[in-house]
Amino acid sequence: MAENDRRNQSYRGGRKRRYNDDDFDRRPQRRRYEEPLFVQVRRQLLTIAESAARRAEDDVQGIAKTVTDNYDDDEIRRDFVNISLDLVLEQPMKIPFIAGTVLVAHSLKPELGSEVLSKAAEALQKYIDIGAWREVKLLIRFLGILQPIYEGDGVFPLLEELFARAVDLQTASSEDLLGLELVKIIQFTIPYVMLSPASGFEAQASALLEKTDIIASTPHALVDLVNTFSPEENQEAAGQSVISLMQTQLQGEANQGWELKCLPRPWKDARDAETDEPKSFESVTKVPFPTVTVPNPVPNGARPLFPEVYLSVYANQEVDTVPAITDISSSLIRDTLVDTINLLDFNRVATAKFLIDIDCYFTPTTFVKRATPFDRMRELIGEVQPWKPEDVAVDAVFSQLFQLPASEHKLVYYHSVLTECCKIAPAAIAPSLGRAIRFLYNSLETMDLELSNRFLDWFAHHLSNFGFTWKWSEWTDDLDLPAIDPRMAFIQGALDKEIRLSFAQRIKGTLPDPYPKLITAGKEKDTPDFKYSSEMAPYSKEGQELMQLIRKKASDEEIQPVIAAIEDQAKSQGVDDPKIPSTDAFVTSLCFVGSKSLSHVLSCIERSKDRLLAIGTESQRARCQIITSVMDYWVDQPGIAINIIDKLLNYTILSPLSVLEWALSESVAAGTILSKPHVFEMISATVGKVTNRMRQIVAARGQPGLYEPQLSVIDETLARERTDMQALFKYIEDSIVSIAAGSNDEQMERGDGSGTLPEDAIIRQWGRRWLRVFRRKAAVEESFISDALANATPLGTQAPAVSGREDAADGDLDIADADAQ
Amino acid sequence: MSLLAVNTVDRLDRPSAYYVSKNKRRRFNDREEDEQQQEKPDDKLKNATTLYVGNLSFYTTEEQIHELFAKCGEIKRLVMGLDRFNKTPCGFCFVEYYTHQDALDCLKYIGGTKLDERIIRTDLDPGFEEGRQFGRGKSGGQVRDEYREEYDPGRGGYGRAYDEQRQREEDEYGAGR
Repeated sequence: MAENDRRNQSYRGGRKRRYNDDDFDRRPQRRRYEEPLFVQVRRQLLTIAESAARRAEDDVQGIAKTVTDNYDDDEIRRDFVNISLDLVLEQPMKIPFIAGTVLVAHSLKPELGSEVLSKAAEALQKYIDIGAWREVKLLIRFLGILQPIYEGDGVFPLLEELFARAVDLQTASSEDLLGLELVKIIQFTIPYVMLSPASGFEAQASALLEKTDIIASTPHALVDLVNTFSPEENQEAAGQSVISLMQTQLQGEANQGWELKCLPRPWKDARDAETDEPKSFESVTKVPFPTVTVPNPVPNGARPLFPEVYLSVYANQEVDTVPAITDISSSLIRDTLVDTINLLDFNRVATAKFLIDIDCYFTPTTFVKRATPFDRMRELIGEVQPWKPEDVAVDAVFSQLFQLPASEHKLVYYHSVLTECCKIAPAAIAPSLGRAIRFLYNSLETMDLELSNRFLDWFAHHLSNFGFTWKWSEWTDDLDLPAIDPRMAFIQGALDKEIRLSFAQRIKGTLPDPYPKLITAGKEKDTPDFKYSSEMAPYSKEGQELMQLIRKKASDEEIQPVIAAIEDQAKSQGVDDPKIPSTDAFVTSLCFVGSKSLSHVLSCIERSKDRLLAIGTESQRARCQIITSVMDYWVDQPGIAINIIDKLLNYTILSPLSVLEWALSESVAAGTILSKPHVFEMISATVGKVTNRMRQIVAARGQPGLYEPQLSVIDETLARERTDMQALFKYIEDSIVSIAAGSNDEQMERGDGSGTLPEDAIIRQWGRRWLRVFRRKAAVEESFISDALANATPLGTQAPAVSGREDAADGDLDIADADAQ
Repeated sequence: MSLLAVNTVDRLDRPSAYYVSKNKRRRFNDREEDEQQQEKPDDKLKNATTLYVGNLSFYTTEEQIHELFAKCGEIKRLVMGLDRFNKTPCGFCFVEYYTHQDALDCLKYIGGTKLDERIIRTDLDPGFEEGRQFGRGKSGGQVRDEYREEYDPGRGGYGRAYDEQRQREEDEYGAGR
């Protein structure tokens, strides 16, 4: 009874006194020192291996002993089974420790082992059925370490079955990606089976490896497309796919008798209670491997699959601080860190903590002491080379931030993880980030353009969290480079982004000489000058008049005469499209009146919506002028300009195509515009709007329970929008192809037209890098649409006579935004 | 993708203790009338797309807020918190996204990070209503800025109530009392 009372109170510490208890008796409360056993077990399990002060081996045996000793306590048993599996699925770094605990527990009480197995199999089946392959991988890894407790071949028949499915998929289509995912699961299970105390499975492992070799070593067509470095720009830096790398590493490891030196074996010093001999798991009660059925064909989950490429920002340093790609540790550690990062997106602080504590989860010889300075690493070069834990952790975060075509979570999540890491261990992490930044900066020319823009965005955002301090002086020499050089474009772009998160004066104050000159007087002005204020400006009088009218929220009838006056004047001067000067005056006035804040300019736009919409429909060139006027007015603060353009797109005052026309034709400036990060940002955002909408329509088309005639209606919309989207990508392709080839008209007119000016090569490179990004986007969208349509209800399907569908859940399409930002 | 009912570490995308306790308090006060409606304070937030953002500097602009918060998704509406009397920013705002998921992501990835070099606070909000953009403190700003004893240059110096008192004392002292 007493125990029951205690249970009803909160888990941690005593019950909180609520304020209405005040009216009742208030007995002096004695502190309770004893916590119920199940709370203790729960805590021990949740924090297994977390402390450097405890030995993980003791955790493993302690928990196993408590749980088996109290096998009759339902609560403890249930907690043990559930929390163990929760940890497997959420904190993969702990899998060897959890599995170790289960191994020891099974040897003491086989019934408990069976209970865990059946629960794990149940979960595994559920994840296989929905195609959640990461979860499948983690559960099979867990089951793999339990290999010694199975009868017969244990986990191998399941792996063989997965391989058979992979072969089917690969044979059916050379573009297949799901098969590769299955091969990856097999690859990342084998080391853990070989790690387990089971022996005699070398031959089986080798046989399986031989089979996966054909699939893993054949380069997939998409690998080049998602590579951090385009092979065209930098063949040497272009990374290998994760599975082809892992295949080589596994074969190497097999030859070395599966040393697997980084992976912990926390069950190793378990001793037999009676004999005090090291425990042999060979003699435990064997149980059959749980039944799991792999459907044929296997389902594809909600997450779109793409090949993964191995990236390290610490490659080619003078001293190795991270495992080389020849070492299987590089893949094993990376895989579990990446899963941890992506699974724990709901608590970045916990993620950062795990990353900082990385050395707790691998063998003690894997890493050097935390916060060992880089220079000290030089002295440590010896036979056994331990790695720098901070570098390995940071490397994993960057690999996800720079995932193509899209990261699993919004990019800002990875920003926030790095920020938290820096907060937890500034002295240890900051120098690692510094070296990463140097690597990325030096790779700017050849890195995928989308990724160099992600780098830019992260860099500015990161600095904004740490007082904008950066050693700018190390890049001072690059300030002599031409403005369109990728490095110079990065510096200018980073300062602009910093200003967007802060303000010009503040940023200027953080810069050493000669950087402050990059922040011009114009950038320091909150309200840019109104060009019509100068008497010298054409249409100056009308411009000012317009501005005053807009400021006092005049009606359209009052505005029209001024517009007409400008157009008449223009006509008399022989301007071929008088709408252009009138639009310029109108939009510039809007920008000036609305310059106080975003909401000011939005309400100005809102009031003039009809006029602006009319301009857009009347003349294509006038529509381009809207963009020109906005971009010109905010030329020193391009962030505000592109924000306004974005809103104009939402109002459909601008069309996506008009934004492309403005950038890639009207203002292309012989291709030099391609070097401007904010233009890339604007075009990406514009294309993103179109593809997002497309995806929504595709999702609507694919929703289950949709019948004629709605089916045809949506299908028509889809076909129309799809054509529009293709036209958009075609426009980008056609405009940039000529720049990349150096045959753009304006480019030909530069210099002597020979295309041999030093800048010409840089421009052509920008062209190639832009092309790569938008060709990839086009391909990704097309494959998204065809995949989704393959599973959609066929046209002409009539509603069934009795509508009683209940299982709509599995048809729920994930329309997660692949282009998030 | 996780199908877990409980997570092994806390989630950062839950309503704050402030929001929960505010509702709880109300439940105790008007137990009868509100009982049903207030039973689950989370319910009103089930599809919330709005966030309350606090601890901003008075000088932080809409553009800066937009720049940071757009990293979690397109912003539908941004309402600056204003001093009731001066109509100047007083250190908070409401950010509305198009989707609930964007709002949750914002709690997870942006809440507790810095904007304009201040750690900002984000809280899921049932939705902006006209009038809520104004400070509820005595002098027009936020209540917390009335009685702050520390000097905060980004939020108007000392708490206004204290400031007034200090000013009075100084004047009296200067008058030779």
